[in-house]
Amino acid sequence: MKSRTQRFPLLIVAAAAMTFSASAAWADIKVGFNVPLTGFAAGDGKSALDGAKLAVAQANAAGGVAGQKIELVVYDDQASPKEAVPSATKMVEKDQVVAAVSGSYSGSTRAAASIFQRAQVPYVVAYAIHPDITLAGDYMFRVSAMGEVQGRGGAKLVQNLGKKNVVLITLKNDFGQALAAGFKEAAPKLGINIINEYEYGMPDRQFGPLVSKVKSDNPEVIYASGYFFTAGPLVSQLRAAGITAPIIGQEGYDSEKFIEIAGDASEGTLITTSLDRDSSSPSTKAFLADYKKATGSGADMVAAASYTAASVVIEGLKKTGGKGGEALKNAIAAGTYDMPIGKLAFNDLHEVKKDVQVQVIKDKAFHRHSVISDPVLLAPPTKAK
Amino acid sequence: MLTLNLVAQGLIQGSIYALVALGLTLVYGLLRILHVAHAALFTLGGYVGVLVCNASGSLALGFLCAALVSGFGGVIMFRLAYQPLLKQPPYVALIASIGLFIASEEAFRIIFGPQGFSFTDPSLQQQIVIGGGLQFKLAELLVMLSTAVIIGILAWLQARTRVGIACQATVSDPQMAESFGISLRQVRDINFFVGSALAGFAGVWVALLNNLVEPTMGSVPSYKALAIIVLGGLGSVPGTLAAALLLGVIESFGTIYLGDFLDRNAIAFAFLIAVLMVRPQGLFARR
Repeated sequence: MKSRTQRFPLLIVAAAAMTFSASAAWADIKVGFNVPLTGFAAGDGKSALDGAKLAVAQANAAGGVAGQKIELVVYDDQASPKEAVPSATKMVEKDQVVAAVSGSYSGSTRAAASIFQRAQVPYVVAYAIHPDITLAGDYMFRVSAMGEVQGRGGAKLVQNLGKKNVVLITLKNDFGQALAAGFKEAAPKLGINIINEYEYGMPDRQFGPLVSKVKSDNPEVIYASGYFFTAGPLVSQLRAAGITAPIIGQEGYDSEKFIEIAGDASEGTLITTSLDRDSSSPSTKAFLADYKKATGSGADMVAAASYTAASVVIEGLKKTGGKGGEALKNAIAAGTYDMPIGKLAFNDLHEVKKDVQVQVIKDKAFHRHSVISDPVLLAPPTKAK
Repeated sequence: MLTLNLVAQGLIQGSIYALVALGLTLVYGLLRILHVAHAALFTLGGYVGVLVCNASGSLALGFLCAALVSGFGGVIMFRLAYQPLLKQPPYVALIASIGLFIASEEAFRIIFGPQGFSFTDPSLQQQIVIGGGLQFKLAELLVMLSTAVIIGILAWLQARTRVGIACQATVSDPQMAESFGISLRQVRDINFFVGSALAGFAGVWVALLNNLVEPTMGSVPSYKALAIIVLGGLGSVPGTLAAALLLGVIESFGTIYLGDFLDRNAIAFAFLIAVLMVRPQGLFARR
């Protein structure tokens, strides 16, 4: 009994402290962040969250925005539209975020887009590449090259390699199909012959039959979309079957985990992505070093793109003094940004125009292979489309 | 050559299905429970195999530990989750099983992280070329071979040993078996142990073939194995084996020739529906 009365004042102090910290948090500028932290995409989700957190931490360490701290309000969307809708609604209604960032895949980002558009909350998308996202309205922004553009970049790479006969292995989701659409659109113009296209599903890790068929097709190049957890087994199985044709992947491969899974078979794999590890740009170098220091692992495209998307929001907030809504939308749209994934500016559809980075895996690390810059071929769509 | 390759790939996949589905069919035969959480033990085996092999450098030890841990995991699962529910209608156990499976996926993610693990130095990756055009990883050939051996041993145990005969007797008439002095509890434990150990064993093979274990690796086997045991005539070991291999081969051809309009994972169920329309008792049911 005695001990209870002794603890009682402590409780009051604790309650008071909580009230104070709560009121301090109330004044923070809230930025929403939807990201897959559970489910099949949780690996990418972790990178995305680390990237975005780094951007926020750096901004807060440098004094925040208009004297206020930025708070990242994180929701796990499991990369699923049915989770993304309630989390977007909560961000808008309950948390009243001034802006939001997508660190998630196309399916969930598309679903969240219309909610943010309706609420006039600027939504900056890191690496979801489906075209419909920016079509949701003028509050949408995307910092990565959209799927079709990257697909066209892939076709251009085939031409640059001096090859002609290609087999497409397409992941059957928004990501894979957008890439394939871009590739197929550009292929005839570049004199590329698509021998066959095969599709596979997200849960597939065993590609035996598909590999046998690709082998009998005998292509000069394989253009295969996927994420590191599907592409790792796929590339390793293609090589195990004795297929030696170059394999072109995309930003979904862009993870050290891909090299770990595919092992020796990953050597020589080419990817089109937005992060150039051998870049001489100071902002890229600084990001790579800071990320390594903060997390202990090497940055991938997902981390770099999420860092970029969060930074774009923060720069916009600095211009508006922490205000959201239309002012923030206009500020973000008008800005130019020097980011780890390159120099960015938005067009009238709020897509970025940028070069496609080609990386190659050499000695178990990503290195620069080439840069594809073709302003006509790689032009993102505009409103006029 | 392509046809031969597709058959071979189908048999490789079918062997893994067989290893997973056998445990499921043993459980179903004995307790009439659709044991969805069986796939969690498959994942557990994969993780244990990779972790032990990376730590010790011995793949054999990895296999052994995976089979043991999954085996005991299965017995614990039975004792804690299913045994208290045996008097309830079968769907109660099914619901518990689905819950267990979902919880286990999340547990793997929380404990081991979302990105999964790979072998630091994967073994059995040597290329084997047969007759010019057929090329395999050594692991692919060994998975077929080891499945054949294990199932052979299992069939022998079941037909020729006291424990095996006790199991069979319990399946056909539990009350009568008990009155002959067979310990039901022991038979059930053994069944769960053997079935779960097989799943763990299969988990390590899949880890080797893909060089990846991840929290969600059990999601496809969890429901596909159910389709296989239904095809095989619920509870029949040879039927399950045949159905697993057949489904592997059908999927292999289906992926290539039906892939444009039917998902690979939908093929299993399209086939299941087609079979059930003609033979409602399953392809290989004895009764």
